[in-house]
Amino acid sequence: MTDVSAAAVRGLPLPRVKTSQWRGILGILVVLALWQVSVWIIALPAYFYPAPVDVAAAFVDLINKGILPAYIADSAFRYATGVATGLTLGVCFGLLIGLSRFWSRLLGPIINFFYAIVEVAWIPLLVIWIGYGFNTILIAISYVVFFPVLYNTLTGVQTVQQVLINAVRTLGATRRQVLTSVILPSALPNIITGFRVGAGFAFRGLIFAEMIAAGSGLGFLIFDGATTRQTDRVVVGMIMMGVLWLALDRLFLRPVERATIERWGLVRAQGGGS
Amino acid sequence: MTETVSRVGGPRIDPMLLTGVLPFVVVLSLWALAPALADIPAYKLPSPLTVWDTFWSMTADGSLASEIWASLRRLAVGYLLGNLIAIPLGLAIALNRAVAETMTPVLSFFQSIAGIAWVPLAIIWFGVGQGSVLFVIANTIFFASIYSTVIGVQSIPQVLYRAAACHGANQWHIITSVVVPGALVQILVGLRTSMAYGWRALVAAEMIAGTNGIGYMTLEAVQWYQTEIVLLGMILIGILWLALDFLIFRPIERMTVRRWGLLQ
Repeated sequence: MTDVSAAAVRGLPLPRVKTSQWRGILGILVVLALWQVSVWIIALPAYFYPAPVDVAAAFVDLINKGILPAYIADSAFRYATGVATGLTLGVCFGLLIGLSRFWSRLLGPIINFFYAIVEVAWIPLLVIWIGYGFNTILIAISYVVFFPVLYNTLTGVQTVQQVLINAVRTLGATRRQVLTSVILPSALPNIITGFRVGAGFAFRGLIFAEMIAAGSGLGFLIFDGATTRQTDRVVVGMIMMGVLWLALDRLFLRPVERATIERWGLVRAQGGGS
Repeated sequence: MTETVSRVGGPRIDPMLLTGVLPFVVVLSLWALAPALADIPAYKLPSPLTVWDTFWSMTADGSLASEIWASLRRLAVGYLLGNLIAIPLGLAIALNRAVAETMTPVLSFFQSIAGIAWVPLAIIWFGVGQGSVLFVIANTIFFASIYSTVIGVQSIPQVLYRAAACHGANQWHIITSVVVPGALVQILVGLRTSMAYGWRALVAAEMIAGTNGIGYMTLEAVQWYQTEIVLLGMILIGILWLALDFLIFRPIERMTVRRWGLLQ
């Protein structure tokens, strides 16, 4: 009997995944169809409510002129450098604060305060200080990524089981070895989670920063399209934004997170203590 | 913690509090001294006193209160509107697997573009002002929240439905005693993250499409190089968020964590 139910449980997911994917595709098609039909019904000028056909045409046009690839490359470069900077700083400060009670007391409250000043609020000041362009965007994105990474690193470091540290030290490990062979690996799942959360906020941050402080990139495409009444371009930018984020999240961030938790998460699961 | 020897005499201050305050003092004094030391012009970094004076004069003439009120009211309306539609709709969608599977990709797509990217389109549709900003906030909050709710219901183990059905629960009982409590963690996560996204969207939308509010005040001041207003806006944005977090979310979280044992 258990065999049968186990086989049923094991057997079920395979076809179900397929139907769910078909249903998902159906859902997207239905939305596209509703959009087209609503365009016919509402019958407003294209700059006000562009049809899927207009958007597709704008997409082809932007590709042919080379604007879209260039903008995406710009955005990707800004995003990658910003996220990398924020991640590095976040992990460093997370370790510093997590490992020393003194630094945690000293820096805890001010970090909480600066976390509350969202990156969006920094952009006006950065524009005054640095002007429009790459550096302002870089700082804003690093800023967004920094905090979730820091907080999660902190949690990771603080939940390392003392037993493991003691064990390694009994074996004669130096402080550095404790850090690299116990603390970092067991904090890694948390760090990666923080990274994924930060990357999500940073993506929105990027779009906003580009709207205000850039002359290229996806955010600029969306914003500039609206001011020049090329609404089809606005929608192309929005769809690209969604597609790129989903691709990044599903093809990179989630697999990485899952892999780290599978590889390193065991360390946490063993002890039973939170 | 308490074993640190406190000095005799003088007010007893928790040493932990004191260490935490120290960086604020350092930042403030650096801020005050930097223009003189590094020769930074006042339009780039007005002194803390100037910002303080601006704060007082704007409080006195009531303009600050009205900007803050405009922002908070908009946030509240957007938050209520977004969540009141999103959570019931999310539960309804998630109850039927076919519907849920059809909607999930669409929802996750809209969730990932929700927010700031809608601002330009909102301006075309609603013009600059209240309508656009509200649309963007409600949109952001709606998709963040509904996605969480649907995921929450989907994560409920099938066993629980069967168990409830075995005990003779009808559809309504299953909803109230399996679906809602089971999805509650994710709903709360949704309530919380939608607020975080909503707050950012509010400030950002006010900057680009607003005619009043704290975000509008902050970016508008850049045009006139009124850096003291920019700084004041930033500090207030930080303080308001902390206040929202402490007054609304921490208590809710504490209550629900205790009630439902949601500690992970």
